[in-house]
Amino acid sequence: MTSASKNGRRGLVAVAGLSAAALALAGCAAGQPGDDASGSSITIGTTDKVTTLDPAGSYDNGSLAVQTQVFPYLLNTDYQSTDVVPDLAESAEFTSPTEYTVKLPAGLKWANGNDLTADDVKFSFDRQVAIADPNGASSLLYNLDSTEVVDDTTVVFHLKAENDQVFPLILTSFPGAIVDDEVFAADALTPDDDIVAANAFAGPYTITSYDFNTLISFKKNPEYKGLLAEAKTDTVNLKYYAESSNLKLDVQEGGIDVAYRSLSATDIDDLKGNDKVNVVEGPGGEIRYIVFNFDTQPYGAKTPEADPAKALAVRQAVADLIDRDELADQVYKGTYTPLYSYVPAGIAGAVEPLVEMYGDGQGAPDADKAAERLTAAGVTTPVELNLQYSNDHYGPSSADEYALIKDQLESTGLFTVNLQTTEWVQYSEDRTSDVYPAYQLGWFPDYSDADNYVTPFFLIENFLGNHYVNQEVNDLIIKQASEPDPATRTADIEAIQEKVAADLSTVPYLQGAQVAVTGTDVEGADETLDASFKFRYAALSKG
Amino acid sequence: MARSPERAIRIRASPDWRTLTSTTTAPASSASPAKRRPPKSSGGGLGRYIIVRALLIIPTVFILVTLVFVLMRSTGDPITAKLGGQLPADQLAERIHAAGYDRPIIVQYLEYLGQIATGNFGTTLTDNRPVTEILVTYGAATLELAFYALLVAFVVGIPFGLIAAYFRDKGQDASLRVFAILCYATPVFFSGLLLKLIFSVWLGWLPVAGRASVSAQLQMELLPNKTGLYTIDAIMTGNPAVLGDVLAHAVLPAIALGLLTAGVFLRLVRTNVIGTLSTDYVDAARSRGVSEYRLVRKHAYRPALIPIITVIGLQIALLLGGAVLTETTFEWKGLGFMLSEYLQARDFVAVQGIVALLAVIVALTNFIVDIIAALIDPRVRY
Repeated sequence: MTSASKNGRRGLVAVAGLSAAALALAGCAAGQPGDDASGSSITIGTTDKVTTLDPAGSYDNGSLAVQTQVFPYLLNTDYQSTDVVPDLAESAEFTSPTEYTVKLPAGLKWANGNDLTADDVKFSFDRQVAIADPNGASSLLYNLDSTEVVDDTTVVFHLKAENDQVFPLILTSFPGAIVDDEVFAADALTPDDDIVAANAFAGPYTITSYDFNTLISFKKNPEYKGLLAEAKTDTVNLKYYAESSNLKLDVQEGGIDVAYRSLSATDIDDLKGNDKVNVVEGPGGEIRYIVFNFDTQPYGAKTPEADPAKALAVRQAVADLIDRDELADQVYKGTYTPLYSYVPAGIAGAVEPLVEMYGDGQGAPDADKAAERLTAAGVTTPVELNLQYSNDHYGPSSADEYALIKDQLESTGLFTVNLQTTEWVQYSEDRTSDVYPAYQLGWFPDYSDADNYVTPFFLIENFLGNHYVNQEVNDLIIKQASEPDPATRTADIEAIQEKVAADLSTVPYLQGAQVAVTGTDVEGADETLDASFKFRYAALSKG
Repeated sequence: MARSPERAIRIRASPDWRTLTSTTTAPASSASPAKRRPPKSSGGGLGRYIIVRALLIIPTVFILVTLVFVLMRSTGDPITAKLGGQLPADQLAERIHAAGYDRPIIVQYLEYLGQIATGNFGTTLTDNRPVTEILVTYGAATLELAFYALLVAFVVGIPFGLIAAYFRDKGQDASLRVFAILCYATPVFFSGLLLKLIFSVWLGWLPVAGRASVSAQLQMELLPNKTGLYTIDAIMTGNPAVLGDVLAHAVLPAIALGLLTAGVFLRLVRTNVIGTLSTDYVDAARSRGVSEYRLVRKHAYRPALIPIITVIGLQIALLLGGAVLTETTFEWKGLGFMLSEYLQARDFVAVQGIVALLAVIVALTNFIVDIIAALIDPRVRY
């Protein structure tokens, strides 16, 4: 036998041996499934992504989900409550129409041992405004004029507009996270690794291991002095997935304990029939709606046949014909519920004016009523409606959702729908450039309050840019924002919804539920799935 | 007769040194010119070949990065792609100006080339991370996957190719040829999903996705000098369970991606072995009564492997292309996975950096393979 052939044989033997050893080791590991999900720790899976841990550089659910666990907030809502109460703060109140004074308890500490004082609070808000990162949420601090430190435990927010009832809510939200002034940069975003290395946390948890958008390991913070009760689980791991199908498989097979955001409707429906997991649902703040451009919709102000009465009749007919139950059941398998209001159910001030005003008066569609409206207004049918939706921003079911809406409108013979889709980048530009006469949008709230469902949409200068103008609505929105009496404010919000429902600037039709899928031994998901829309890990435990 | 060291070196430098060593008793001057090339010509030819091939990398990479730049910019500037529709027009223009994307395209292009030349690929738009950090962090994962995939390709492709050649035109050969076609014709994402369904969901033998379980990953995170190559890191933990976990996670992605190349190898080995089996020297061996098994195993196998090396260069490009789908299917967080993520996020800066690096890897791999091929088969450089 030649040395060459000996070498070749040895090589093959080596490769075979290596492969066998590898497979044996792999087999050993595979023979111990569920390692991650065992013990005193909990592993949560998500498809959300972190933009940055720095609260000044993020304005997205994925980043907020982590920030909520590790950073302190002056104010917050307790589990299952919509009342804003002191969290890190000892007290918080308006001390004058433009002064909101917050007092901190003495002796607060960051997890790294640094003192947590009013200086940190001022630093946090000043840097939000100074950095004004395009990915950040500093725009929510529109009414903040300046922040003043009175002493180590007292800070005063000077506001531009008086009696801003929304400002305390904003303190519970994206820009409200307090950061350590000895760790964070004053005028630039601080890298995630620096934040983790400095242990600059004071929330219910700290971060002990951080692999960007791959795996985060949280550990209970013994220094936490906030609203929530002590965290029930010492260690929580957050594992990131790109594909919801992998997230579903892992929670189903016990590889993780909890799957939160975002499983597809089909997956959730499938998991509901699986004995190994529990599907827990909570109120959802996400809404879906159709926007009408008042200039370019059929009979809109800038069309050749402009006629406000006919334009209104067209919008009303659409509202009459949409079958919300069918959309919720067929497309979203019950993970979305019908929405007949502008402020979704579960939030103070929510009423359902669209139930009575449109369709059969009980929430179902009514083709005869729609035909009647169009005929009465002198609209020639079928009305040609160009309807646009985004194919990459609101999940994979958007195509089915809008195919069904098209069918609902066309099946009556009253509409001919030209359904078109555009990818989100182009869509975002087009919708504000009057390109789309009617189009799909969705909304996830910045903070859990009715204001966040009316102010961005129905002021004369609004986020939609759909040329909807109603001075009365505009004035009511401004009034409610500074109305100190809760009852009066709620009445104002209800009045706003009634008026907008009559005008139909938008037609809301679906409200999303929050859904978490947990192992059968996991408890607490139902407690934290509340109207705060924050999934707080401190509530979770494993039996 | 004693051999001078100088002559020994000359003989080994010759491509036919093994033939010559069997006739070392003959004077050097009596060697046939057809069997022994002049040492100067041989060494100079290889050196020149290497230099020429090395220089060719520059225009190759240049063309690739230029194509990437042109394709990316043909769809607009990165700021508009990221923030268009979210910011008012004046703020958007301000940011475009601040980032320099309103300058003439040729100026931006030259700056881009300068950045690449200095290894500065900029900072990602979506998560503000240096692109070089992305390349280092996730490049290791892709490298590891490519290594395992090549291993699968060799382990499956070569033996099956030999078997197919041995059973030429019989049932086994036909089955293996069909298998080979299925290997390289089946989309990676499909074979990946199929493998997951069978081995993860139905049988529960292997993990669904990822590079390691949470517990294994946390143990590796504690290492002071992580390499990013999980196999190495797992060994460094000294915990066999961690290594087993990492290998278990690598099995399905490696098979899904490796089979793509295994099919090519199988066909290539089969064809070459069959070709070699019909050569004169094999006929001579056959006439001496050497069995078919020994002919395949001892006489046809090694020559048939040489073309494999030459196609590895091409297969690396195929592997990297396949890695995008494989990594996405199996949540294997490598460069392909990140490329897909950044493409969806319209982060052109990150995409440019990743594609440029992949282009460089492909060019360098081809260069190395060409050199190896030239060393093995001298005819390549003439």
